[in-house]
Amino acid sequence: MTVGSQVKGCFSSIKSVEATLLSLENKTQNPEARECFHEVQSIISDIKTDLEKQVIYLSQQEPQYKN
Amino acid sequence: MPGWVEILIRSLSLLIALFFITKMLGKKQMSQLDIFQYITGIVIGSIVATHVTDLTTQFEYALIALSVWFFIPFGLEYIALKSKRVRDLTQGKGTVFIQNGRILEENLKKERYTTDDLLEELRNNNMYKAADVEFAVLEPTGKVNVLPKKENQPVTVKDIGLKPAPEKEPQTVVMDGHALLEPLSNASLNTNWLETELDKMDVSIENVFLGQVDSDGQLTVDLYDDKITVPSPSEKPLLLAAMKKSQADLELFALASENQETKNMYEKNSQKMQEAIDKVSPYLQY
Repeated sequence: MTVGSQVKGCFSSIKSVEATLLSLENKTQNPEARECFHEVQSIISDIKTDLEKQVIYLSQQEPQYKN
Repeated sequence: MPGWVEILIRSLSLLIALFFITKMLGKKQMSQLDIFQYITGIVIGSIVATHVTDLTTQFEYALIALSVWFFIPFGLEYIALKSKRVRDLTQGKGTVFIQNGRILEENLKKERYTTDDLLEELRNNNMYKAADVEFAVLEPTGKVNVLPKKENQPVTVKDIGLKPAPEKEPQTVVMDGHALLEPLSNASLNTNWLETELDKMDVSIENVFLGQVDSDGQLTVDLYDDKITVPSPSEKPLLLAAMKKSQADLELFALASENQETKNMYEKNSQKMQEAIDKVSPYLQY
């Protein structure tokens, strides 16, 4: 596995984490849990933005592995 | 009127009166009765018994006596609700048996408790060693309650210094194979949601003996068919695992990266992820 695909994998699993948090936030009846899920979602979303830039950068660096 | 008819009539009417009197006097248990309620109970019982079986007595007298023994305790209880002094008089005060870890022999004597009685009561409270007790009190109802010394108290979440996620009561949404609509709407869910969740678990609602949903919307079920195992809810543990894995990945990238700027970026994000895990993990454990 190239670095690019590794980072890509991590990126997609972070995306899935974010989506799960959103679904939990909508499901829970507990206002405190709702707030916590919301906060954590915004942290994850920051990480996602950084990682996305890195994914784009890496795909430019390794065009031969681009898919 | 033949005697047996009269007994029947008396019994039935007093039974009804007694039913309402006990209803009105409240639902305290026998063991929780104070002295006054205890006496009242006995007297009311014997008034009824006498007048039911003894036909020479006059039936109206039974009703008069019953109403006295009903209204006075009822009124006193009402006054006791308002006044602490009356409460102390009618219900009595507790007697402290052990304070600051020391047994108060005077109080034991006052309540005519022998050392063996005290030890027995302590054992009832799972305290086998008197030295482990910080505080013990004889309640007016005759029950001894015990506060163990701090080091002998069971560990609570507070002691460990954890901050647990608050949890609301679960709603029972399926009972005996039928969906219950009111609890479902209490959890702001509907039957469609229930069907989807049951489909995910691959069970039909007719097979569900009991289904409960917690405040986070997770459904747990018990089936009539005990041979089938139902998957336990896995969304939250999977989420936590995914977060931990991404955190580890980010750390790995930070180590592998040679570019200083990228390294910093990965490190910062791995810290952020750790922060997120710390924040959310109380809510992802049950």
